Amino acid sequence: MIFWAAAGIVYLAAVDDWQVYAKPLEQVKIWYEGVKQEFRQADSVRAEEGMPWADVSGADVVAVSGSEGMTVSGSEGMTVSGTEEILAPETDGTTLPENGGIVPSDGEGMAAPDAGGTVVSTGDVLPTDGMGPAGGEGAAGLPEIPEADGGVVYHTVEDDYFADAVFIGDSRTVGMLEYGGLEETADFYASTGLTVYKMFSSEIVAVEGQRKKISVEQALSQNSYAKIYLMIGINEMGTGTVESFVEAYQEAVDHLLELQPDAILYIQGIIKVTTERSEQGDYINNEGIEARNEALSRLADNERIFYLDVNPEICDETGGMEPSYTFDGVHLKAQYIDIWKTYLKEHAIIKDGQSVDCEPAD
Amino acid sequence: MGFSSIEFLLCFLPLFLLLYGVTPRYMKNAVLLVGSMVFYAFGEPEYLWLLVVSVPVNYFLGLHLARGARLKGKNKRQKKKKLEYERKILLAVAIAGNIGVLAVFKSGIGSGRLPLGISYYTFRILSYLIDVYQGEETKETSLLRLATYITMFPQLLSGPIARYGEVREELYEREFSAKNIQAGLKLFTVGLVFKVLLADRLGLLWREVQVTGFESISTPLAWIAAVAYSMKLYFDFYGYSLMAVGLGQMLGFSLPSNFNDPYMASSVRTFYRRWHMTLGRWFSRYVYIPLGGNRKGEWRTLFNLLCVWLLTALWHGSTLNFLIWGLMLWALIVLERQLGRLGAEKLVSRGVLRALPHLYLWFVIPVSWMCFAITDLSQLGIYLGRMFGVVEGIRVSAGDWAKALTNYGALFAAGAIACTPVLGKLFRKFKDSLPGMFLLILLFWLCVWRLQVEGQNPFMYLNF
Repeated sequence: MIFWAAAGIVYLAAVDDWQVYAKPLEQVKIWYEGVKQEFRQADSVRAEEGMPWADVSGADVVAVSGSEGMTVSGSEGMTVSGTEEILAPETDGTTLPENGGIVPSDGEGMAAPDAGGTVVSTGDVLPTDGMGPAGGEGAAGLPEIPEADGGVVYHTVEDDYFADAVFIGDSRTVGMLEYGGLEETADFYASTGLTVYKMFSSEIVAVEGQRKKISVEQALSQNSYAKIYLMIGINEMGTGTVESFVEAYQEAVDHLLELQPDAILYIQGIIKVTTERSEQGDYINNEGIEARNEALSRLADNERIFYLDVNPEICDETGGMEPSYTFDGVHLKAQYIDIWKTYLKEHAIIKDGQSVDCEPAD
Repeated sequence: MGFSSIEFLLCFLPLFLLLYGVTPRYMKNAVLLVGSMVFYAFGEPEYLWLLVVSVPVNYFLGLHLARGARLKGKNKRQKKKKLEYERKILLAVAIAGNIGVLAVFKSGIGSGRLPLGISYYTFRILSYLIDVYQGEETKETSLLRLATYITMFPQLLSGPIARYGEVREELYEREFSAKNIQAGLKLFTVGLVFKVLLADRLGLLWREVQVTGFESISTPLAWIAAVAYSMKLYFDFYGYSLMAVGLGQMLGFSLPSNFNDPYMASSVRTFYRRWHMTLGRWFSRYVYIPLGGNRKGEWRTLFNLLCVWLLTALWHGSTLNFLIWGLMLWALIVLERQLGRLGAEKLVSRGVLRALPHLYLWFVIPVSWMCFAITDLSQLGIYLGRMFGVVEGIRVSAGDWAKALTNYGALFAAGAIACTPVLGKLFRKFKDSLPGMFLLILLFWLCVWRLQVEGQNPFMYLNF
């Protein structure tokens, strides 16, 4: 017995590449801490957790169950390569595995979203009371928790989903406009340097047959959209605090929904910068972005406002943007805009009554 | 602290000129030296010591290299031979030492960062030592004067690489006058305009293309961006050189000019006689001609040229792309030489054909600058591939080049005009007239305003 254990250790130490375990372990740790913290705060929900280890290459299965009439059980299937299925809420017998988009923000890195993990659903948005809001408060820096707990069902859609969508944002969104291939489909109110403070008053929307551009406020009053994608917040980092930023953001969100009463709003987590750029020493850093994203994720009510975070798809193991995806550490190169676009297409909300001309992803 | 920064323009320069102006004549060198040290310390506090050590060491080396033959007594010839031998060894050691320090930093063995201006002050030091050794120049007995020559802030960071002999007299005696200040300021303003209003703006297009990624630009845009970079590099460097010459003039020095409308040249050979002239002159004087120049037959000439271009490439950087750049230019020069021997120059000297050499130059130079600009070889491959349409584009935005032309068309036009001798002629004609001066003052403050708006950041890095 001892011999076998010793042989195993020697084998692992000598032959195996330890680094492959670092990422999954880290993810499990973060997830575990998030869950713990959450349950500590929400004392109406009793929890029992378990983390039985499977084998080194296999999945860690974590079961979470709460009382109060709602059973939430999650299973986290995690392989060394990084594909996973996290926290599938189980309601009325419908199983809703989430896909790779909701991994911890600094995990995942370049691993492709798990194809098998995309949503299987009845096509309905699940009720979001219960644990939804609590989830957001619980886990600092863990945007995946509210999504998971909210039980939002995301669909995979085609480009025409964006036909009644408007993208509002700064230079990152300009990149989406120029290289996302949606310039004919969706509308873009995007401009380099746009901030949430001046978002509505900025005269950046071109009108056909008119030389002068109109403000976002005017444009939103004149047009009607079903979806609004908002990606903004990096230019604001030099001024104010996270709180003042989120306050302004909240106001902007309220005003957006006021102007577009029929629209749903996707709040997109601010795309992170490379770790090298983050360590450059100015106000642009990933800690600041994470703090803001965490706060932004709490603005989502998962009914009209949804929080999406593409960062796990484009970040490396250091938690910053993958260096080969960018020249300046801030903007995705044109050829990698597709990752972002694909992510949005795989995280589409389809509201009741909307025709589903896309198959629910499998 | 570059010349085109608010601190320099509005703090350092006025304060220094004031102090320099009230200083008595015999103290001016000392003030200039201290001022230059302060200037250097602003940009490079870390490696100030290198400069402080290097100058005295080379001062003593210079003294020894100049040890003349005041030989007495017997064995005169033998003693002379011995002395010659010692001087030769000393020169070799001096060159090796200076080049060695430069090479260590260039190759990144040191901190990985190049101390500001080291390429330039090393070359100034070497030119002084070699001139003294060859007896072209008398040794400088005053450490203060030599230190002033090597470190004077107008040419400290990026040249021009003036030879010691060119400024020697002015180190002893120079005129500090309102007239000189005015003339220098005018030249400085033109340089500032080139840098701030042309180079920095054109640089934005080059940066946009980099941010987009070379895989995703159309072939026309690849060419447009290459032209933008060619202009940016020129106006950046030319602007800096003009500012340096202008500053020198304000202090009473006449520094050599560095550019002579290079893009108007009609061959790569002549291009590099008009581009960064003080560097070309340096290599010619201290490498090409000692190797035999063109006096030892065609093959030897080609070899000598190869040596010059390899060294020039190394001087610019130790990455492989610079080697490609240097070899490409060498190959073109070889080609031109052979065509010249066949009498091709006469062929294209008449009528419409005269445009041909220019078109050829405007075709090859942007390509060569891309080899210069892109240090990553695979990226360089992709860029050249896009230029010539042999690498498939990924997610190319169809009208990207038209958009670039709309956004930057006016800048390109202004840049193209500034590449011709027209601007220089206009400047000489109107610089002393009232409207001319008014325009220059206006442009100066326009630049200051732009710098203020963009902060320290010509590329607006901090605006996403």
